[in-house]
Amino acid sequence: MKLVPSQEETDLRGMLRDLLAAECPTTLVRALREPGADRFPAPLWKSLTAAGVLGLPFAEAYGGADGRLDDVATYLLEAGRALAPSVVAGTLGFGIAVDRLGDDALRGRVLPPLCAGELRGTVALADPGDAHDVRPRLSARRDGDGWRVSGRLEHVADADVVDRVLTTAAVDGRTLAVLVDPRAEGVDVTPLEAMGGPGQFRMLLDDVPVEEVVDAVAVDDLRRVSHTIAALRCVELVGVAEEALRRTVAHAGSRHQFGRPIGSFQAAQHLVADMHIGIQAARLSALAAVAALGRGELAVRESAVARMHATVAAKRATLDAHQLHGGMGYVLETDLHLWSERARVLSSLDGSADTAAGWLAEEVGLVHD
Amino acid sequence: MEFELDDDQRAWLEEVRDFLRTHVTPELRAELAEHDLEFKGGEVAAFRRAIGEKGWFGLNWPVEYGGLGLGAVHQHLLMSEFEYWGVPGPDLTVTSVAPMIMRHGTEQNKAEFLPPIARGEMICAVGYSEPDAGTDLASLRTRAVLDESTGEWVINGSKIWNSGAQRSTHEWLCVRTDPDAPRHKGISVIIVPIDHPGVEIRPLIAWSGYRTNEAFFDDVRVPATNLIGEVNEGWRYITGALDLERGALTNAGDLRRSVEDLVELARKPRADGRVPADDPVAVRRLAGLVADVEAATLMGYEAASLLAEGTIPTVEVSTEKIFTSELRQRIADTAMDLLGPEGLLAHRNPEAPLAGAYERLYRTAPLLRFGAGTNEVLRDVIAQRGHALPRSGR
Repeated sequence: MKLVPSQEETDLRGMLRDLLAAECPTTLVRALREPGADRFPAPLWKSLTAAGVLGLPFAEAYGGADGRLDDVATYLLEAGRALAPSVVAGTLGFGIAVDRLGDDALRGRVLPPLCAGELRGTVALADPGDAHDVRPRLSARRDGDGWRVSGRLEHVADADVVDRVLTTAAVDGRTLAVLVDPRAEGVDVTPLEAMGGPGQFRMLLDDVPVEEVVDAVAVDDLRRVSHTIAALRCVELVGVAEEALRRTVAHAGSRHQFGRPIGSFQAAQHLVADMHIGIQAARLSALAAVAALGRGELAVRESAVARMHATVAAKRATLDAHQLHGGMGYVLETDLHLWSERARVLSSLDGSADTAAGWLAEEVGLVHD
Repeated sequence: MEFELDDDQRAWLEEVRDFLRTHVTPELRAELAEHDLEFKGGEVAAFRRAIGEKGWFGLNWPVEYGGLGLGAVHQHLLMSEFEYWGVPGPDLTVTSVAPMIMRHGTEQNKAEFLPPIARGEMICAVGYSEPDAGTDLASLRTRAVLDESTGEWVINGSKIWNSGAQRSTHEWLCVRTDPDAPRHKGISVIIVPIDHPGVEIRPLIAWSGYRTNEAFFDDVRVPATNLIGEVNEGWRYITGALDLERGALTNAGDLRRSVEDLVELARKPRADGRVPADDPVAVRRLAGLVADVEAATLMGYEAASLLAEGTIPTVEVSTEKIFTSELRQRIADTAMDLLGPEGLLAHRNPEAPLAGAYERLYRTAPLLRFGAGTNEVLRDVIAQRGHALPRSGR
């Protein structure tokens, strides 16, 4: 145990921060939210691909960087700060799911183009509001050598800009993991009008031909992947919270009232300190969860703890940021709401702190049914 | 960042646990339950000797000072484990006074004081606060004047919250040596044997039943060489020691045990037949405590990792101290809510759940929220040192 970032982690984080500062300004974040905008951030995608971000956790044989899941967490800390478009993290999560659930042949087909930035994906493996609930939402039927699936998926991220959705379907009492092409015939993709702007979709599937990832997938294998993606999003929440805190400190240090910076008032400093404390708890527990999942553990306990801290810290940091910015942070032109909405969106997806408390209660033997 | 214990750390933890399994006897537990640390020459004294024989009072000190040369992470793991077991481990003398002597003391200071501390023979009470200098420690007034004719410091004044003085051999005493210098500049640290003429210790009993003391110094004379490091440089030494003290006081070992015990209790019927864990609200609160203990543990690991790198992690330790002390109150309050009227049964009442541990915890917990730096001042520290916000007027 050594909870100090290594030089490599520090270097990677610095590189990503510089890259995102240059290529992912809030003007881009806002532009992607405009009605009718092309939601694919092509120049940013190209830069991130060139920097090796999309291949971070994958084997060199597939064009990846052979890194650890922790490296993906490092990206997500910065992605959270910069509000990087979710299709990047989504594609990384999709790749991780293929890597963990698929066989060599599938990895060989999916991961090389993914690492090269030529294939984008997302997953729909769990209840959108409960990462632990991996019961399939779709049903499957045999069609010759292949499968067709039907049903409905809610809150699928970036279904408009991805090439594949990895999801599950029930067949004869077992679970099948499959790849869906969201542009295939029989798929109806509808944008959801929701907080955070466009980016979440309802998918209606009517007898859609799909590619098999694995038949009779084990619940724990699905949960491991689902919790991995959820834990990474906890790290993203930490990044969101860190940036809200940074902006707040900058504002409070420069804004003068009653003849002194408002950041010199103890009441303001204590809000800042509480943001800091919450973020510390969130950062450490989210990174601990990623580390445990990276070692291949199911890590329900760590995942629950991470979610319980990360959601609370990020909501608190953003809402207290509004409090300390006052009207200056409430108007849209100062952008603060972009972080506040991201914090709230990521606190609902995968499950709230209360939902995660339920996972934890079961882990420590407090619930029985 | 590495979250898993490495082989060396795991082996160390196993060694500590082996020691505790051997030496934490029913007799020791019984003495602690009845007398806390106040029974002279009994099981606690024998337990301390056993710790001393392992060399664990100087476990993180360099070998040249009679230590084992192990790191801050080893110390943290040991302290957390002792706290988890509810037994006294290395105290402030070892964890905060000695490191400051090593860092700042003269060669004579080191030679004179470190070996007896390592053997567990020299125990210091920490003399900081005064009746009119609490959180605002730099306004302390206890004076030391050098008598040039005898080469002795002559000390006059009084200290308060002088915990453990009744069990200590020495005072680590913070005194004003230059009354004309700015507040923080004229302060020094002097070691004073507690049995010296002119030292008087009077008990003060706290809400928790804990004994602390007032200490009075009336023309107390000690050799000039008892001054630690350099004259008028003491503020740096005590703030450094306070950071270490906060780190040592705030490991989450005892909290982990409290929460584990509470989860266990909550699954059993109370005297009135109700099972607390049948109530989803109670379960939600317990899950919150479990999650908080995990975060507190990680904060402790982080502070220890930074200490091992050679920095004094003031902001991280302040964060950990605030978080754990406020968590301790939440645990006590949740426990008493979950246990209902039965939870009121007093500490040491054999009818009480866990012998009234939570009833006492409710009374103990306030101490660490204001002690060793109030959480309010530590929040200022986080904002000002961690985020460079301007100093407040307070």
